[in-house]
Amino acid sequence: MRRLAVFITMVLSAGLAAAAPMGFKGSVMTMGDFGPNWKESWVNYALTARDAIGVGGLSMRSDDGTRTRRLAELNYTRLLKRWNLADAQANVWLFAGVGDIRGNDFGGSKLALAPGVQVDYETTRVYLAATARLYRATDLNHDFASVRAGFSFYEADYDEIQPWIVLEARRMRGLSDKTEITPMLRLIHNRYFVELGVNSTRQARASFMYIF
Amino acid sequence: MNHYSRLLMTVPLSLLMFGSAASSFAATSVKASVNGMVCAFCAQGIERRLSKLPATQAVYVDLKRKVVAVEFKEGQTLDAKTITAEIVDAGYNVTKLETVEQSVAEIKAEMKAKK
Repeated sequence: MRRLAVFITMVLSAGLAAAAPMGFKGSVMTMGDFGPNWKESWVNYALTARDAIGVGGLSMRSDDGTRTRRLAELNYTRLLKRWNLADAQANVWLFAGVGDIRGNDFGGSKLALAPGVQVDYETTRVYLAATARLYRATDLNHDFASVRAGFSFYEADYDEIQPWIVLEARRMRGLSDKTEITPMLRLIHNRYFVELGVNSTRQARASFMYIF
Repeated sequence: MNHYSRLLMTVPLSLLMFGSAASSFAATSVKASVNGMVCAFCAQGIERRLSKLPATQAVYVDLKRKVVAVEFKEGQTLDAKTITAEIVDAGYNVTKLETVEQSVAEIKAEMKAKK
C-alpha cells in the first residue's frame, strides 16, 4: 500500500529525467549526454549522501541548426527526499544552477539561472522518471522537460550487465517546437551506466555515467 | 628415536595444530539487509565504502535478495554502527544486521545456490 502511494505520487508529480544525478558520499560522478542538437556534460562531488556540487556545460542547437546556445554552469544537487523501500527506491531531487550563457544570435554573454526538479521511482525491473529544468536569462527561456519510462527483461546479479529498454520524451522551449521521442537501450553495470538510442528524427543519442 | 620416527610424529602433530589454528580463525562476516538497493550502478557506493574500511576483507552485494555481506580480516571486526553508517552514507537503509561464521565466498556460494 505504501509502495503504491509512493508510485502514484511519483507519477502525478510529473516534472521530468536521468538516473540518480549524484553518487555516494565522497564520490565524484561524471555524466554526458550527446546528440546533434544537445550536448551536455558535467561532473559533481558528493559532499554528503544528499548534497553535491559540480560544474557542467550544455550546448543546444535549434532543429534547423541555425541558432545555438552554450551554457557553462556551477550547480548544486540536493536529494530532497528518498524512500528506500524493500524492493524499490523513489527520490525527489532539486537542482540549482547558475552560469553564463552565450548564443549566436545575440552578443556577449548573459547570466543564466537553471533551477530544476526530478522525481524517480525504480525497482530492479521498472524505471520511471520525470525532470523539469528552467534555463532562464534576460530575454531567454529554454525551459526543459522530460519523462522516462523503462523496463528490464530480467533481474541481474550485482556483477552482471543488466539491459533495459527506456523510452524518453523531452521538450525544450525556444529552440525546438517538437517533442523528441527516443527509445534507448540502457546497460547498467556496477561500474558504468550507458544509454544508446535513436530519436524520432533519426538522430543518434548516447549518454553515460561513471563514478570515480 | 631415529629421524624417520621423529618425522612420523611431527607430521600428524603439525596437521593437528594447523587444523586447530584454522578453525580458530574461521571467517566472520556481517550480513546486512538493505532497503532501496535496486540498481547495481547506484549500489556500488556500498561496496566501495565498506571495502575501504581497514577491517574489511571482502564485500558481497546481492541485489536480488537485498543483502550486503562484509567479511572481516583475521582478528578484526567492525561494529554495527560503523557498517550501518557506511551503508547510509551510500544512500540506503539497513533493516537488519546478522553476524555469521562464514566467509563472503561461502555466503555468495550459498546465495547463488538458492537462486
